[in-house]
Amino acid sequence: MLRELDPLLHSQLRLAVVSILMSLDEADFVYLRNKTESTAGNLSVQLDKLSAAGYVSTKRVIEGKKTRTLCRMTSKGKKAFEDYVEALKVYLNVKK
Amino acid sequence: MEEKKIDEKESLELISQMIQSTKEYMEIGSGNHFIYWGYFTAALSIVIYSVFQFTEWKSCGLLWLLMFVFWIFMEILNHRKHPAVMTYINKVIDHVWYAMGSMFVVTFAVILFISFIYGRYNSLDLMMPLSAIYVGIGVSITGIIIQNKWIAYLPFVGIGLGLYMLTALYLNILPTIYWHLMFGLSFIIMMAIPGHILKRKEKKAC
Repeated sequence: MLRELDPLLHSQLRLAVVSILMSLDEADFVYLRNKTESTAGNLSVQLDKLSAAGYVSTKRVIEGKKTRTLCRMTSKGKKAFEDYVEALKVYLNVKK
Repeated sequence: MEEKKIDEKESLELISQMIQSTKEYMEIGSGNHFIYWGYFTAALSIVIYSVFQFTEWKSCGLLWLLMFVFWIFMEILNHRKHPAVMTYINKVIDHVWYAMGSMFVVTFAVILFISFIYGRYNSLDLMMPLSAIYVGIGVSITGIIIQNKWIAYLPFVGIGLGLYMLTALYLNILPTIYWHLMFGLSFIIMMAIPGHILKRKEKKAC
């Protein structure tokens, strides 16, 4: 029986964010926004969802007068991504 | 990009596209740091040489302590600006330099302590060859991590110079003022040049 794909990751923007964070140790909000070509509001909402699920941790740092948000994958998030990719492989093999 | 459902094939394509987009940062280290350290050390060696030529001050080597001031200055600059992205490679390189920096501080403290106990401060001469060796190892490891042959092998100049100085000191050959200049030159070769190589790579990637 096919495993259900994690609904939290099976969405374009969230999957893009997680894919980027999987290849980096840490990335800031502006970098993620540029790479995903998303709006700040939308990205913020999706990050909140990932954060609430414990997939991504965020940290605010103050630099001069600006506040920056740094994001990184948690071990739970990494595991969820790996499971998601495994499930994806199964789906694609079945569809062949 | 927005919040929308995608099919399995699109998911896989998106994952590979995003991973590919971060790849440009994988090979980039912090070229500027190498450049600043390389040129600062070279400039300081010329200052020390000039001070000795003009004043014949025998303890002019103490001016190397200005390296600590420069270090603190660089640390303040680093902490002010957090990089937009921290790759795993950059993190490993940071740890390597943290270890090198710690070794440098510990070595200085131990040598100073022993000098103080025996009242013979000429043992501080050891700092120059040991610094060349430590920095050479640090740059070389960085080169190995980022898989750049030039950055991995150029530091052998500094390591070789450090070993020569250590051997000379062991053989009771007194250090000359030219050692300072050679030390400065070795930093150009093992730090400033690798720094420029890194910067050029960075420009190509962007």
